[in-house]
Amino acid sequence: MRANLSRIGAWLAVAVCAGFAVVYFAKALSHLNKMAEDNSAVSFSDREIAGGNSILVDQQAAYEARGVIPRDETYRVVTGSAMKNTTPLTLPFVESWLRYFLMPRRPRADAQWIVCYGCDVAKLGGSYQVLWQDENGISLGRIR
Amino acid sequence: MSLGAIVGLLALNLWLLAVGVAVLFAIRGLASWADLLRLGGLAYMLGLSCMGILWTWELTAGLGISFATVFATGFAVAVSAVLVGHRLGRSFPARPSFAALGVPSVTAAVGGGLTVVYLEALFRAGRLAGLYEFDGWSFWVPKAKAIYFFGGLDHQFFRELPNQSYPPIVPALEAAAFHFTGGADVVTLHLQFWFLLAGFVAGLVGILASRVPALFLWPPLLLVLVTPHVVGYALQPQGDFLLDELFALGALLVALWLTERRDWTLVAAALLLAASVLTKREGYLFAALVVLAALLASSRSARALWPKLALMGVAAALMTVPWRILLIVRDLESGAPEAGGGGLFAHADRGWESLRLTLSVLFDFDIWLVVLPVGLLAIAVGILNGARRLPVFASLVYLFGIAGLTWATWAFPTLPVTKEAALNPIVRLTGSLILVTAALVPILLSAGRGANEAVVAR
Repeated sequence: MRANLSRIGAWLAVAVCAGFAVVYFAKALSHLNKMAEDNSAVSFSDREIAGGNSILVDQQAAYEARGVIPRDETYRVVTGSAMKNTTPLTLPFVESWLRYFLMPRRPRADAQWIVCYGCDVAKLGGSYQVLWQDENGISLGRIR
Repeated sequence: MSLGAIVGLLALNLWLLAVGVAVLFAIRGLASWADLLRLGGLAYMLGLSCMGILWTWELTAGLGISFATVFATGFAVAVSAVLVGHRLGRSFPARPSFAALGVPSVTAAVGGGLTVVYLEALFRAGRLAGLYEFDGWSFWVPKAKAIYFFGGLDHQFFRELPNQSYPPIVPALEAAAFHFTGGADVVTLHLQFWFLLAGFVAGLVGILASRVPALFLWPPLLLVLVTPHVVGYALQPQGDFLLDELFALGALLVALWLTERRDWTLVAAALLLAASVLTKREGYLFAALVVLAALLASSRSARALWPKLALMGVAAALMTVPWRILLIVRDLESGAPEAGGGGLFAHADRGWESLRLTLSVLFDFDIWLVVLPVGLLAIAVGILNGARRLPVFASLVYLFGIAGLTWATWAFPTLPVTKEAALNPIVRLTGSLILVTAALVPILLSAGRGANEAVVAR
């Protein structure tokens, strides 16, 4: 009786595993194929920015910052209320996302390089030389 | 994102495999080329574990991760392992021959074929994946970039980035991957996690293929691989899946030691569990529950078995000490729970909710299909077969695992009690109990068949 029960149990376990594995194997392949297609369909910049797309408002800002700020320099991200077209994630997370993206550049509270996200330029503490800006209120520059 | 980057990543992982083969030679010996091929996956995971542990020590000592340290560390491990193996009387396999592998059964051929197709699809999906995961760009990859760009545990970034207490195996591995791919290529980086999953699968199959019937091995493994969470998240450049993989293999080797008493499995388990602790702080919880479950499951032979189990646990814990010292020396977060000690009683109302959350995630069909019910059924089969130790061990792993995961929500009152991944990591944490199911179900279904619990002892 006990042996029969264990045999039935073992076959049941194998059958359940095999049954669900077969059905979901097909679904998994379909899902993975779609992921592969979606990933290859996006542009180089969309793929590189990835999670930042829901934060940045303007991809160009990140690329300009990376192009203009030298790799061994420090920078600070300053946010403010003068931003347009923000997402709910922009102001809370733009600083930490740019920290990831702009490495090896180091964030520092008193850095001269500024990534301004709708910031109050008058409060930056010096003469702000704008090197790049867009119509959303993002600018990039240096304090002199 | 280039082919060259993939070739570089392949070279890194072949290096890890080579180091692991030497380690396996030292702790077990390799009787034949077929043996080497069969246990290649385990060798890879052991190589990764040894290198990860040593990278952690090197980083805490102020060294960096570079081509030179990756090669020098691997070379030192491999030479030491070969010397130890030679001293222990291990011999290298003679002429290359894979005859001992035999002809696979139809089930094994079908299971192996489906797994290869699955891994190929997963590779394509990860090949051009962007870094979307919050934790990935928030701290896992920035830590890796900091190691890559600044040559070590940079004081500023490892203080300012979230989760200071998280150990550095994954960032170190990612930094090594950046060196081999030729830059901080966060897209190709996803494929490093493909190698880890492939290594885990190969390791599991290699360990079990000679011990259990193919029918008990492949269906549970495939079931776990096709669960929605594994399909969707296995290649995220984070620590969760590596923790799950190391824990599952470590628990399997401890379970085998309980029935076979081959000491090399315990040595290998110590390395894997130490690496799991140095992958993510939850590793402490999972490593401890494996040791505790093994101690209780072997309580009838405590005098004979407990010293070795205790030694294994202590050895695994000692390997993680340098990282704890670094946290103290640098005055970084310890990672201790928010509601430690009596704090749990102050938040007693969260206890039941946390348990319900854990169970609802583990049994959530849309996340893990029916993996856990199958695990429980396999325990019942093991008991009905007359086995004792393995079903008790597996039951305790699940029981302690559920208790630990409940605690993981309960002891952090700032975590909302929700399955929402952005707010509570419970879904990712349950992966350990799911992957270990793929490892334990085959031996549970086989347990007790024959004169003793030990199936074909290899």
